Amino acid sequence: MTISRLVSSALAAALMFGAAATSSAQDVPRMADGKPDFSGIYSPPSTVNATGPRGNLIFNADKMAPVKPGAEGLLYEARNGDPRHDEPRAMCLPAGFPSGMLYILPIQIVQNPKNIVIIPELQRAARIIPTDGRPHREGIEPSYYGDSVGKWEGDTLVIDTVNFKRWILDDYHYTDPTKTRWHSEELRTTERLTRDGDKLRYQITIDDPKIFTRPFSQDFELTLRPDWEPLGLLEYVCEENNRCAGGNCRPSDAQTPR
Amino acid sequence: MKRNVLAVMALIALATPALGHHSETAEFDQNAPVKVTGTIVKVEWLNPHVWFYVDVPDEKGTITTWGFSAAPPGALMRRGITKDALKIGAVVNVEGSRARDGSNNASGRSVTFPDGRNVFTATQEGAR
Repeated sequence: MTISRLVSSALAAALMFGAAATSSAQDVPRMADGKPDFSGIYSPPSTVNATGPRGNLIFNADKMAPVKPGAEGLLYEARNGDPRHDEPRAMCLPAGFPSGMLYILPIQIVQNPKNIVIIPELQRAARIIPTDGRPHREGIEPSYYGDSVGKWEGDTLVIDTVNFKRWILDDYHYTDPTKTRWHSEELRTTERLTRDGDKLRYQITIDDPKIFTRPFSQDFELTLRPDWEPLGLLEYVCEENNRCAGGNCRPSDAQTPR
Repeated sequence: MKRNVLAVMALIALATPALGHHSETAEFDQNAPVKVTGTIVKVEWLNPHVWFYVDVPDEKGTITTWGFSAAPPGALMRRGITKDALKIGAVVNVEGSRARDGSNNASGRSVTFPDGRNVFTATQEGAR
């Protein structure tokens, strides 16, 4: 085999590989504007390589960045007996983000050229994320879900969220009868969403400089569920059976049959 | 006889200690198992959690009403468990974890029908 034949074989192989990679990317359904189409109903996010209790629904502590000296008390707060603090969602208070994305109920994504709307069935708290290049809003109060803007980096949607109220980070409190886990008001999250066949690769980066020494990321994946389309998302009015309205309750009050 | 099991439906969201969205660890004691057989008398097919109530007679015929919490309606429905599954008047065997306050409430982990009907699949679809 001559050198030139070797080179041309290698070139052909490289071209074929390139073509395969390209055709895989082209396989992703696309919107009219050429962006990947994320629309659909997905299974709840599932942690990739989950560890520990309830590993799919909370951040894995062993994958978190180190906590700054003295900041442990900002990350973990002891339960104080007030369910509004200890179990805010059980009180029908907002899940917030990122906690609200990590639950056993499905998530629907609705997309148009100017916005991506992410709707967890949990509390039906739609996150409306502009993708038209606008900056974060100024002069609004910190909030449970923060202020999000999105942009496309190739076929990956990158969502930047700031202006949070201090709130529960995740559902850690369901795994520990003594403590709750929080983020500070300095939280900044970056979500990266990439469609891969019927999967949505979903990475959340937590940057909370008041608590952690550096940002850290955890990987999740969602699975498209066309079989859930006929049912669609259901209503979720937590107040309909809020067993602890107002927060002034003990478990026995909350659970007494009406 | 009652141990002659039958079909079990997973009513809670997770097999691990944590379930759903209320304060499982704070309200319910995993070390206080509850296992009762009785008649369904009331069903609240509502968010944030389905609750159902079971009248349980003791040897003397005295009735105690137990309340059981379950997953949200949507999570149950996507597992193929509809409201029709929990019929008023149905006799069921329910297992769960008792409320820490000692009340007759529990988180319902599984429901078994004495006639062996497998109303619910055991898949934990939607649960993570």
